[in-house]
Amino acid sequence: MSTDETRLAVRIAKIAKSYGPTVALDSVSIDLRPGEVHALLGENGAGKSTLVKILSGVVKPDSGSMSILGSPYRPHGIVDARTQGVATAFQELSLLPNLSIAENLMLPKMPRGMLGLASHRTAMASAGRILMDYGLAHFDPDTPVGVLSLSDRQRLEIVRAFTHAAKLLILDEPTAALADVEWLFELVRRQKSLQTAILYISHRLGEVRTLCSRATILRNGRSIGTVELSGASDANIFEMMVGRSAREIINTPPSAGGVAPVALGVKGLSGGILNDVSFNVRQGEIVGIAALEGQGQRDLFRTLIGLTKTNGGTVEIDGVRAQIASPGAALRFGNGLAYLPEDRKSEGILAGLTTASNMVLPIISRVARGGIVWPAGERRAAHETAAVVDLQQRYLHFKIDELSGGNQQKALLARVIMTGARTLLLFDPTRGVDVGTKQSIYEAIRKFAADGGSVLFYSSELPELVHLAHRCIVLYGGRIFAEYQGDAIDEQTIVGALIGHARGAKTEVAA
Amino acid sequence: MSAVTANPARRRSPFWRAVISDTGIVALIYVLLYALYAFWQPDALSLYTFTDLVNNSTPLALAAAGETLVVISRGFDLSVAGVVSLTNVLMAVYPLDGPGGALASLLMCCAIGAFVGMINGILVARLGLQTIAATLGTMIICQGLALVILDAPGGMVADFVTYTLTDTLFGVVPIAGLFLVAAVVLWLAFRRTNTGIGLYAIGADEQSARFSGVAVSGVRITAFVGAGILYGVAGFMLSAQTATGNPTAGTPFLMLTFAAVALGGTPLGGGRGSLVGSILGAGTLMLLQKVLFSGGVSSFYTGIFQGVVLVLAIVFGNTVARLLKKDEAR
Repeated sequence: MSTDETRLAVRIAKIAKSYGPTVALDSVSIDLRPGEVHALLGENGAGKSTLVKILSGVVKPDSGSMSILGSPYRPHGIVDARTQGVATAFQELSLLPNLSIAENLMLPKMPRGMLGLASHRTAMASAGRILMDYGLAHFDPDTPVGVLSLSDRQRLEIVRAFTHAAKLLILDEPTAALADVEWLFELVRRQKSLQTAILYISHRLGEVRTLCSRATILRNGRSIGTVELSGASDANIFEMMVGRSAREIINTPPSAGGVAPVALGVKGLSGGILNDVSFNVRQGEIVGIAALEGQGQRDLFRTLIGLTKTNGGTVEIDGVRAQIASPGAALRFGNGLAYLPEDRKSEGILAGLTTASNMVLPIISRVARGGIVWPAGERRAAHETAAVVDLQQRYLHFKIDELSGGNQQKALLARVIMTGARTLLLFDPTRGVDVGTKQSIYEAIRKFAADGGSVLFYSSELPELVHLAHRCIVLYGGRIFAEYQGDAIDEQTIVGALIGHARGAKTEVAA
Repeated sequence: MSAVTANPARRRSPFWRAVISDTGIVALIYVLLYALYAFWQPDALSLYTFTDLVNNSTPLALAAAGETLVVISRGFDLSVAGVVSLTNVLMAVYPLDGPGGALASLLMCCAIGAFVGMINGILVARLGLQTIAATLGTMIICQGLALVILDAPGGMVADFVTYTLTDTLFGVVPIAGLFLVAAVVLWLAFRRTNTGIGLYAIGADEQSARFSGVAVSGVRITAFVGAGILYGVAGFMLSAQTATGNPTAGTPFLMLTFAAVALGGTPLGGGRGSLVGSILGAGTLMLLQKVLFSGGVSSFYTGIFQGVVLVLAIVFGNTVARLLKKDEAR
């Protein structure tokens, strides 16, 4: 490592930050060289988000120092950080749905036209140039961001950060919603050649190894160390992240297979772009859905739960024909069907309430004594399930929005398990969570299935499908394109099927 | 892997977009009501009746315009009732005659509104109070002040104000209408400033707006100050109308401004809407009174009809929005 400070693009030295009694960052030091893509790794709650906020100028550190190209860096706001050449693509996207693509790209200062007012035409033109420059020429800058899909919004968030980042670019889980990562990799390589330092935060080690040369590992608010990625094995890194040796990644043991009764029977289902889809999920079975962005997976889950209108086909739950009108009705039907939504920020958590309240919400009437929900009763009910999803007891009385993303996700999984429903629909249950949390979530799902429950889940990550699913269904263009069972589920085969090239034999769709 | 998901939302011509917008709906309601009015009351199309209607609607329209600024930024401003009462009693207790006096009165009303708005803004943006709580406080203070200044209806507004502001310019243009036009022009300019765009941004998602670089506190304070100034002008125009002071003059404004805002297509959840819609909404509520009166309906029923029209307009607007969304999703 060079000791000459001026040769460093960014130096972060002994940064600390506490919120009241909670220590978010204890002491973090990282050096970034110009043109370096540097990975920041750590479990959820390790302090990555706080560090990102400090670097972006959103939060001020309690102590420690930062410098850019040798001169001190003390941003007093996000705009100030930008003018000093530091910009961030946030994990929880910071776009405004009611404004156009152009306005989002230009915020907070619109280009001016006559009379000093914002000029629509100039804004469109410069936004168009930016989109063109970043390979998104097919976006119309006049489109409101609210109508874009999640992955398009993520692209826009990334592009906006790129346009402001001359010296330091922070990408926080930039591929969480991206199906097409090559686009991003290309942009990162280009920016690298402009001598911008890039801090890359991702839970996907494969990606990190492709893009980054070095990685700094955070644990409990401290930077544990910086490693050359070429010289560190996944196990080394995992050990540094969690502070214990890596648990072996195990595949799900096979299910009872074709003998167990069918829990969820779908026949000829259509709705949204979903077109004539038929499959069964048996008791004790975990079925995975694989698909690129926008192939009908969202419609499948939303149709099953009654959020999107069905255009045809039937759904049977435990052999009984079901017409589900709402998630509440789904819960009450037969043995119950519970849904874990995709976007935990807007569809999942109730931000003002405690974690325990969030968890017991669906069974609130069972917890109540004399019509009143007592906090103690709430925690007692939450206690048991918290253990199943490996959520620490002390988090139960925290407000849920004070928890890290991974812990929020555990709480939400606990919520669907607590409903007592025997069939779970999980939409990307590990989106943006770390390796440790993933393992806890996998274990909870496996345990649920081993006890006879059925699980249908969609995942944007192939290894997850390989490790977790007994059976994997590939959706393409709203239809079932292929189906794989047991050992036939491997990444290469699925990758082919995802883009419409079937290499494995398409198994007969179970009637 | 390459998956490019484009979103070619179907383009509509600007004309159709205007017609199906929320403002278009309230404009349509207004025109239909006016036709009904003309049917029952043949002189409805006369200049005199129109001027009278504009005069009647202006105070509420200005107050609703101010409220819209706060509602778009996802807030509620109850201080409207207090500012209207306070400015009204001041106009009646301290009348200043002549053009210079009228101008001084107008500036005083604006200053009071701006001051109350500034307090609201600081309470909300700097001290973190909820908008309802902060503005409830300032509303009660202003109403208390109004009672201290004038404890019962009375006083006399300057003649110049009373006559000039209810008159017409060149015998054609209602002068009160010019205030509305000025408000609309300023609004159209404002929504094309960085602060104006920021207003919509923080109304949609304050956190994202902050992360996008919008100066959230500054925008909020600006919205409250702008709203306060418009309430002040509303109080000024109301005084010109009634020619007298009443310490509770602003109370009816409280509910009606929100009704006008909602009727004008600005959702009370913020992030969308337009001041123009609210002005039309206020006009519709006032026109409805006239229509019912000319239709022979007892004025006791006015409230019921206003409520029904409000609910129907919102339901209709939501239905249109849903149909459009469905259409675009295809």
